[in-house]
Amino acid sequence: MSTSRDDFGIVIRSALLQRGAKQKFSLFVLILLSLFVFVLDNSNLKPVKVLRSLINDGIYRISAVSSSPIRFSGASKDFFVKHIFTYEENKRLRKELEDLKSKNFQSSFLEAQNNELQNVLDLEKNSPYSVVNAKVILDKNSPFLNSVIINKGSNAGIKLGMPVLNEGYLAGRIVEVNFVSSRILLLNDLNSRIPVIVSPSGTQAILSGVGKREPSLEYLPDNFMLGEKESTVFTSGKDGVLFPGIAIGKVVLNDNKKFVKLFADPDQINFVSVALEQQEDSGAR
Amino acid sequence: MALVLSNLKDTFFKLGPLILLIFICISEFHTQFYYWGIFTFNFQFIIIYYWVLRDPDILGYGFVFICGFINDVVLSLPLGTSALSYLFVSLVAAYVRTATVRNSLFTDWFTFLVAIIIGNFIYFFLLNKFAGADIKYTTLFYNSLFTFILYPFFWGLFEIYKKITFSRRND
Repeated sequence: MSTSRDDFGIVIRSALLQRGAKQKFSLFVLILLSLFVFVLDNSNLKPVKVLRSLINDGIYRISAVSSSPIRFSGASKDFFVKHIFTYEENKRLRKELEDLKSKNFQSSFLEAQNNELQNVLDLEKNSPYSVVNAKVILDKNSPFLNSVIINKGSNAGIKLGMPVLNEGYLAGRIVEVNFVSSRILLLNDLNSRIPVIVSPSGTQAILSGVGKREPSLEYLPDNFMLGEKESTVFTSGKDGVLFPGIAIGKVVLNDNKKFVKLFADPDQINFVSVALEQQEDSGAR
Repeated sequence: MALVLSNLKDTFFKLGPLILLIFICISEFHTQFYYWGIFTFNFQFIIIYYWVLRDPDILGYGFVFICGFINDVVLSLPLGTSALSYLFVSLVAAYVRTATVRNSLFTDWFTFLVAIIIGNFIYFFLLNKFAGADIKYTTLFYNSLFTFILYPFFWGLFEIYKKITFSRRND
């Protein structure tokens, strides 16, 4: 018994300390170094944060370049698939064109009415937020994290917690800011929790990522029922970080649980707008 | 000239596993597929375990550490998390290499299970205790399971690769 224990000790010691002919470091030294780096990174010291920020920026750029063959192959596949289905798409588009022509008269009227109302309220017609537009440079998922990297950072005025919009809808929030890059935590990430309001009932809830495409609605009152009209989810702004009234998605029922079908598809985000601040008088919009 | 070219080719073939590991860590290459909602596997574990066990001169511990470091930056994990996890996988591989005389697929495969459990436990423990990240146990389980199941497939591929590389070197 003691012999086998001795053998185990000898083998472990040999595995930890032995270096091969071409190995410059032993496993023991590298494990100690990793622990040291881990403790240092968790210490939240300012020089370490600055250093990490610089490392992040450098590696994200290299990562974006090295990912280009993968992106190219994805784009090529889409190109061929699109061409294969051109005929079907053409038929569908013709039908849609007919439908749109008939709707055009109706939308012209609504547009005129909308312009008139806006003039009455004397509101700005542009976005209610001052934004910074950015491009997604890296989109790598892990089983534990759904996040993307964008090519703007603190140099563009981006700060932690700022809401990120995709085509006007909430896509996530900033969780890491470097000098020339930032990380967005997407709404479907397991760690994402956002206070929301469900319209038209005005019910408060928490939008919680579950690691799937559609996040779930939690902390709804027991008597909450989905109405006949579609329920839309907006940010409530209760956390004091996100601006209130940003559209997020529609409530869908799945196995008696309430999920939210996001307006900004987390798998299709290429360009985003980071809302820096809400413009004055935009609350009425 | 032909000799220089041949040496370059040999060096490239020899660096293949290292290049693959770095590429997987740094690029958008997804080993976390969500087909059927459960299929994910850790390709890095497979590469590290196989090459540290079979030919440690091809994949040095220093490179394993650097790849873990890069992986942490790309996935925004606390620095050192993946490096520690990968180094413990390497430790199991080094232990098996030292303790066994003759390796076969089955000894490799079943000892790989120990490596996966230790590697993922360290990953989970550090993320959960220090980074405060929410982790689904089921995702971790499926990840470990599919990594284990897929090992013989990649073992076969790497064996073929090794034969080609060695036959080139011995020519």
